Amino acid sequence: MAKEMVMSGLAAAAQAAKMAKVEVACSYPIRPYTALMMELAKMVANGELDCEFIHGEGEHAQLSVVLGAAAAGARALTGSSGVGVTYAFETYSPIAGGRVPLQMLIADRALDPPGDFGSEHTDVMSARDQGWIMGWAEHPQEAFDNCLINYRVGEDHRVLLPQFVCQDGYFVSHIPGKVVLPDQSQVDEFLPPYKLPHPLDPKHPVSHGPQIRPDQGTIMDLQRAQAMLDTPAVIKEAITDFNRIFGRKYSPFVEEYMTDGAEMVFFLQGAHTMTARHAVRHLREKGVKIGLVKLRFVRPWPTDDVASVLSKFKAVGVVETSTSYGGAMRGGNLLHEVRASLYDCPQRPLTTSFMAGLGGEMVPLKEFYWMAEVMSNALKAGKMKKNVYWVGFEDE
Amino acid sequence: MFNIPKEKEVPLGCITPAPVTEQPMMITGNWREYRPVIDQEKCNLCMNCIVYCPDACWQLNEAEDEPVWNAKYCKGCLICVNECTSGALTKAYELDFADGVVRLEKPF
Repeated sequence: MAKEMVMSGLAAAAQAAKMAKVEVACSYPIRPYTALMMELAKMVANGELDCEFIHGEGEHAQLSVVLGAAAAGARALTGSSGVGVTYAFETYSPIAGGRVPLQMLIADRALDPPGDFGSEHTDVMSARDQGWIMGWAEHPQEAFDNCLINYRVGEDHRVLLPQFVCQDGYFVSHIPGKVVLPDQSQVDEFLPPYKLPHPLDPKHPVSHGPQIRPDQGTIMDLQRAQAMLDTPAVIKEAITDFNRIFGRKYSPFVEEYMTDGAEMVFFLQGAHTMTARHAVRHLREKGVKIGLVKLRFVRPWPTDDVASVLSKFKAVGVVETSTSYGGAMRGGNLLHEVRASLYDCPQRPLTTSFMAGLGGEMVPLKEFYWMAEVMSNALKAGKMKKNVYWVGFEDE
Repeated sequence: MFNIPKEKEVPLGCITPAPVTEQPMMITGNWREYRPVIDQEKCNLCMNCIVYCPDACWQLNEAEDEPVWNAKYCKGCLICVNECTSGALTKAYELDFADGVVRLEKPF
């Protein structure tokens, strides 16, 4: 029987990995993600999980170990945070280009300098263009679900891409929430066994990652681009099956909250969505016509879904949680993608970046109220004064 | 879908059959600027070229007792020329040969 428990995002992800029957896990400590490996190590030690548990000597080694394991046909899991994510950067492109669908759990942590333990999406957002599937969880339940959904999508032979399965450090990774643990039979129905079309096998030897000519490199890039183009349809299928089997109500890419009659919306991903929901509810009670749109996948970016949903509103406030120093909008990364998605729409909302939740700071209700006020004033004036607002540090 | 010319096709993830003695998809001979040239009269069969070549582009023809050069994969690093004990190996500019690599024909 499915049972309901209270656990942190990392404990939930470990439970999901166990039910996904992960066969190889490779660890290297860095907080906050480390608790995932502590949970998995306990499961292996207690005989609950038949998994080869390997300690890497660094994040680069972690990724190399799981690359080998997944290339040999084992369902593999690793993870990291902050500077650990960037230390392994070299491995990301070969894993995606070699089409090895392993999974890496990210519990975000701000990058140095100086050492900051707080959550910020910049660590793994820096790796968003390497050909990995990528998306954030809002709460431990979604962290559990995303592990299974991403394995299913990434391992699909139409996709064969690795996955960054992300959750905000501390806000999701360490704050316990309600998690429904399904039956093993439900997971087995949803997630077929891992089968690579081209595994390392002594009986049928193959070479992975050989030297190629520059003109072949284009074709390699093109293969990866095509896989990303084919991924959204597979995600939609997987979410439909997931909702049916587990009784959930996920939208594949963008989820709308209280958007009926809304003139303006917050657009964001990850943990701060939770606070934003409450802010929207309180503002609605005061008569402010505001809603919320949550992003579930950054890669593949759901261009059509974002365009069709956001073009219904008059103003969109993108809450960034990551940085893009010197970028076109001078703020975070999401507004670039949002504006590009809206470009072809006949009706475009006013948009702006709200730089909030950086370095692991909280985004309290009063900051969401302030953002709503900025959007309200923009609607009255008919234009947005700035492309970016550093929330709490500047006047409107 | 994209149109990929037949001669440019790459297998999924560039995962190729192995082991093979020569990998036709990964020809590196067109990297060469200089090539090693052997004077078989001077060669004393010390085998240094065969041992030192990082890409196994020197093989011994046992019937003729001669090292044989592989033009398809030799990148022209000239380690063999450096290691040659008899002075049988010398370097020559690639474009001095009628079959010399003309790099501009291919992207590299």
